[in-house]
Amino acid sequence: MPRKGLIVRQRSLIAITAALAAGALTLTACGSRDDSAGSDSEGSGGGTTVVIGVDAPLTGDLSALGLGIKNSVDLAAKTANKEKTVDGVTFKVEALDDQAQPSSGQQNATKFVANKDVLGVVGPLNSSVAESMQKVFDDAKLVEVSPANTNPALTQGTDWQKTKTRPYKSYFRTATTDAIQGPFAAQYVFNDAKKKKVFVIDDKKTYGAGLAATFTEEFKKLGGKIAGTEHINPDTKDFSAIATKVKNSGADVVYYGGEYPQAGPLSKQIKAAGAKIPVVGGDGIYSADFIKLAGASGTGDLATSVGAPVEELPSAKEFVANYKAAGYKEAFEAYGGYSYDSAWAIIEAVKKVVEDNDGKLPSDARAKVTAAMQNVSFDGVTGKVSFDEYGDATNKQLTVYAVENGAWKAVKSGTYTG
Amino acid sequence: MELSGIGPVEPGEGTHVEDAPDGHATPPRGRLAPLYARHRRAALAAGAVALVLAGGLLYATRPRPEPPAPPPYPSQAVEFTYLGPRTPPAGLPAGAFSFGIAVTTRDGPPVTVTRIAQPLPGLALSSRPRPPFRGPADGARTVVITLRVTDCGRVPKNAGLPFLDVTLRNKRAMEDHSFILGGGYAHDLSEAVEVACSNDTAS
Repeated sequence: MPRKGLIVRQRSLIAITAALAAGALTLTACGSRDDSAGSDSEGSGGGTTVVIGVDAPLTGDLSALGLGIKNSVDLAAKTANKEKTVDGVTFKVEALDDQAQPSSGQQNATKFVANKDVLGVVGPLNSSVAESMQKVFDDAKLVEVSPANTNPALTQGTDWQKTKTRPYKSYFRTATTDAIQGPFAAQYVFNDAKKKKVFVIDDKKTYGAGLAATFTEEFKKLGGKIAGTEHINPDTKDFSAIATKVKNSGADVVYYGGEYPQAGPLSKQIKAAGAKIPVVGGDGIYSADFIKLAGASGTGDLATSVGAPVEELPSAKEFVANYKAAGYKEAFEAYGGYSYDSAWAIIEAVKKVVEDNDGKLPSDARAKVTAAMQNVSFDGVTGKVSFDEYGDATNKQLTVYAVENGAWKAVKSGTYTG
Repeated sequence: MELSGIGPVEPGEGTHVEDAPDGHATPPRGRLAPLYARHRRAALAAGAVALVLAGGLLYATRPRPEPPAPPPYPSQAVEFTYLGPRTPPAGLPAGAFSFGIAVTTRDGPPVTVTRIAQPLPGLALSSRPRPPFRGPADGARTVVITLRVTDCGRVPKNAGLPFLDVTLRNKRAMEDHSFILGGGYAHDLSEAVEVACSNDTAS
C-alpha cells in the first residue's frame, strides 16, 4: 500500500508539471503576440481613416532632421491606432518632401489641402518653408503644427517686437521661439561662458537671420561687443574668406544663425584659420551631423535647443524606448519628441471633435479640428503640451549643449515662465 | 414509417468502454512498457526535475508590482513665477529693488532650493527666506528677492530676458537651473537699475 500511494503521488506530480509547463508556454505565446504588433492598420481604431500629413525635408542636407520628424509622427499614429485612442478612427501618415525649399513646401500644402482625408499636418522644419505654407492651410482651415519652426513672426506677426498679432489661426507649434532662444543663448555666452566680443554670421534665411538678430540684440544689451557680422551663401561650403575675417576681428566667440550643413564646415574652417574660439548656434545646428562635419576641432562648440534634456523627462525616455523598438533606421534627432507631440496634438483634437459629434467626424471636420487645437492639453513627450493665444507652445524650456568627446552634452537648462 | 424523433443510439461494434479491474492501476502498455518498468525511478526523477524547472519559471515570471516611479528631476518639479515689485527690507540703501517670486511645486514631493543667484554683473542678490528652504507640498510659496546695484558701470541697463539661477535638490538629483522670468521682470529690473544709477547711490 505505501508503494502504491507513492506512485499515485508521483503521477500527480508529473501531471501538475505538465500542466504548469503548458501554462508557461501559453503565457510565453501571449507575450510573443504582443511583441509583434506594428503596422499602421494593426489594432486599428475602425472605419474612418484620418490622414496626418508630414511636410519636412526628407532628402538633401537637412534630411536627418526631416526623417526624424517623419518617423516620430509615424510612431504617434501607430500608437494611437494600437491603443484605439479615437474610437472608430484609424490614423494614417502621408509624408511629402519639401527639400527645405519654400516653393516645394507650398506645393505640398496644396496637395494636402486637396486630400479630404487630411485633417492635420505636422511640419515643416524650416521657418522659411512655413511662411510659404501658412496661407494655403489657413484658407482651407487645415491645422498645421510645426515641431521645429522658431521664428517669432510665424505666430506673432512681423512686428512682434512692438505689437504681437497672430497672422493665422490654423498655425501652431510645439517648439519655443527665437524670441527666447536668441536671448537665452546671449545670456549664457555673456554671463556663463564669459565671452564679451562676438562675430555674428547668418545664412540670410528666415530662421538663421532671425535667430542671429535676437541673439545680437540681447548680447549688446548685456554689454557685449560685436566684433563683426557676415552672411554666408548656404549653397557653398567654402567659408575660408569669412574664417580669416573672424580670425582678424579679435572675437572671442562666433554666433552662427543657420543650420548644421553649413555650420559644421564653418566651425572647422574658422579653427583652421587660427581662431581657436567656440562657434555657438541654435537648434538648427544641434545635430550629430554637425559634430561629424566640424571634426575634432569642434570640441567646445555650443548649441541651444528647444526643450529639456531627454534624460530629465520620463515621458521622453519612454518615447526613446518605443522609437528604438519600432526599428526606424534614422535617429529621431532634435525634433523627434516635438514631432510626436505635434502629431499627438492633432490626434487629441480629432478625438475631441469626434466625441462632440456622437462618435463621427462632422462634415466641417477641418475647421472643428483647428478650433479644438486651441484647447488641446496633454502630458506629452516634451512635457505639458498646450498652446497660448498665438498658437505658441506654453512649455518653453531650452538647453545649452556643448560638444564634448564627440557628442552633445547638456550644460545648462532654463525655463521661461514669463 | 414516419420518423418521429431521435431514438436511442446503439453502440457500434468495438465502441464499448472496457472497465479497468478494481483497485489496480493500469500498467503502461505497448513497446515502452518494459522500458518504463526498467527505468521507472529515472522517469520519476526527470518528472520531478521538470516540475522544479516549471515552478521556477513561473516564479521568475510571476507578475510583480511596478516599483514606485522615482520623483521627477527637480527642475521639472517646480516653477518660479514673477509676482512683481515688493517693498525692500528696511536698512538697505536707496535703489534696492525687491520683487516676489512664487515657487510652485508642479509634480512630486517638495524640492529644496539650495541657492538663488542672478548672473548679471554689478548686481548683488539676497532673498527672504534665505536658502536652503523647501518648496511647498502644494500651492505656492512666496520668496522675496532683493537686488542691489553694486557697480553702475557694469550692470546692464536693459537686459531683455534676465535669468534667475537656482540650485534645486530632491531625492532624484541636485541640479542647477535657470528661470527666465519674462518681460515684466526685465522691465521692472531695468527701471530699478535706472533709478539706482541715476541717483548715484551705487559706485
